[in-house]
Amino acid sequence: MPYDKRPDFLGRFLADQLAPGRPKVWRNAFLALLALIAILGLVIPNRHPHFGVDAYPFFWPIFGLVMGLILIFAVKKIIQPLIKRPEDHYGDL
Amino acid sequence: MATSDFYHPSLAFLMMAVALPFLPGNRRWKWLLLLPPLAAIYAAFGNLDGDHFTLTWLGLTLKLGHVDPLSRVFSQVFAIMSLAGIVFSLHVNDKAQHVSALLYVTGGFGCLLAGDYLTLFVFWELMSLGSTFLVMLNRTRESVLAAFRYFLYHVAGGLLLLAGLLLRYRLTGSFDFGPIAESSATYADWLILCGFCVNAAVVPLHAWLPDAYPRGTVTGSVFMCAYTTKTAVYVLARAFPGWEILAVAGTVMAVYGVVYASMENNARRILSYHIVSQVGYMVAGIGVGTAITLNGASAHAYAHILYKGLLFMSAGAVLYSAGTQKLDELGGLASRLPWVMVCYMVAALSISGMPLFNGFVSKTMTIAGAAEAHRTFVALGLELAAVGTFISVGLKLPYFAFWGGKKPDRTRELKPIPINMYVGMAFLALLCLAQGLYPHMLYKYLPYQEAVHEFVPWTPWNVIQALMLLGFSGLAFFVMRKVIEPHKALNLDFDWFYRLIGRGVLFLISRPLAAVDNVWTVVWDKVGLRVLKGLGALTSWFDRNAIDGIVDGSAVGVKGLGTLTAFLQNGRLQHYLGLMVVLGLLIFAFFWYGF
Repeated sequence: MPYDKRPDFLGRFLADQLAPGRPKVWRNAFLALLALIAILGLVIPNRHPHFGVDAYPFFWPIFGLVMGLILIFAVKKIIQPLIKRPEDHYGDL
Repeated sequence: MATSDFYHPSLAFLMMAVALPFLPGNRRWKWLLLLPPLAAIYAAFGNLDGDHFTLTWLGLTLKLGHVDPLSRVFSQVFAIMSLAGIVFSLHVNDKAQHVSALLYVTGGFGCLLAGDYLTLFVFWELMSLGSTFLVMLNRTRESVLAAFRYFLYHVAGGLLLLAGLLLRYRLTGSFDFGPIAESSATYADWLILCGFCVNAAVVPLHAWLPDAYPRGTVTGSVFMCAYTTKTAVYVLARAFPGWEILAVAGTVMAVYGVVYASMENNARRILSYHIVSQVGYMVAGIGVGTAITLNGASAHAYAHILYKGLLFMSAGAVLYSAGTQKLDELGGLASRLPWVMVCYMVAALSISGMPLFNGFVSKTMTIAGAAEAHRTFVALGLELAAVGTFISVGLKLPYFAFWGGKKPDRTRELKPIPINMYVGMAFLALLCLAQGLYPHMLYKYLPYQEAVHEFVPWTPWNVIQALMLLGFSGLAFFVMRKVIEPHKALNLDFDWFYRLIGRGVLFLISRPLAAVDNVWTVVWDKVGLRVLKGLGALTSWFDRNAIDGIVDGSAVGVKGLGTLTAFLQNGRLQHYLGLMVVLGLLIFAFFWYGF
């Protein structure tokens, strides 16, 4: 039998997570965790803000989300179309 | 190179590199490879401060064993990484790869313990040579071409360093390797800085790194990702702390690296761009130049070597097993290579600065130090890079290679991964976790102990801030996961300019310079050679008739004898036989009539 066709307990567990419905469970768990983190961010104060604006609640969640969205959009929709070439552009392959 | 309170870690690596080609080929020699790293770990933790090994050569004093808190902390992680790297590569039978890696590590330790620029330069070049072979020995056309480009580029960087250190010697009369104040810097110091920045992959001098590292051998790139750039970080921290230009350059590197990593398709090239980004944190920390940011740079170099080594190991394990490192060709490998995925995720969460892992206790120190020094744009730039790091290495790469980014590939044959590769990965994964959970095991070796207490990573706010930043970056990835899907492409980088310069030089030599050379050849043939022949005939006549006459005609005699023997030794057997007969008769006549 090929090497990886006898999965151990971890391999079986991970394979099971692709069963119908399971990805949604993981997605919901992730969103619930985010909500919990945001609430904790309200409860636990930033006693030592460095930039002024980081004293406001939800600064870091908004920074992470907005910067992440801008980064992905800018990289894939603006920058890459300008600098993308075929893989063997330099004839190295 | 070894005394009661000092042992040079390079020594055993060099001896093993020299001896390895001559060891018998029954593969038991592989176990000997473990000795140099173990000796290096012993030395790195045991060597005492001071200048331990000096040589006097041509009136110069070369310091080969300079130990202080800064060199010690780098030596420790270099030694640990050498053990992990050797264990990871124990299955490799190609002695040339091991010799290259051993020489490369020899160079790395030599640079760390160099107390003068001349010693530094020698080991610096040894590193370039060893690492070139680690790329070339992948033995594909693209690897060989990349190795030549890599070597040319590092030779150019080495020449900048050489020019700088020689000019500096002329100006100061010393090769001493110590801190240089930005306000009193000379052009020689700027040349040295440029030479260091080539190896530190400072943008725009960085493009050799994502060009060469993805094309190295699976095991060779594990070594390379640890040593070249971190040696450069060490020399920058030693010579150029507090240089403003480094604070700016480091922030640019941190963001630039994640931008390119976010659009790449090749797993090891994604990780290569993240070396540029993570080294940016260290360079920025050095540039800000406070005790806390210099500690942060050292701590981050330590943590980075461990998790980046682990990232290259796990991505290399995927390449070794699946035969490709392109994300568009991989998918759903989590259930087929589960422990590789676990090791990869430990490293990915470490580089992202997730609490529990070592990036959390090192990266945050640099950012907090920059913020404390009121360097708002540096600190925010590094936070932005943290967002991009988590999106590209923590989520994109594993999503499309291991998880549900694409349907699981059940048909691709996977090659079994040797146990030693798993052992190497597990060793580094445990260290990443241990340092994250118990930062003191890293902090107690930092060079500026007086500033260590100024930053405490495990506070409730630091933990929740990191979770908020990374968690909501994850949400951005979840929303944009279709947009960020990687595809086959080459993304132009600054190597476009390098190649343009290369083509320009080639054009200059093959067209205008070649045309000038052709004209010169004709002129020389028609005029120069004739004049030269005339002069030659004149001096020959003078030599024969004037000089030779003085020394009693011996030259003419020797020439005549030579001409005669040349005539006689014409290669014809019958002539030789005839000569033998004549000579025999002469000898017979001599004895017959003589006595």
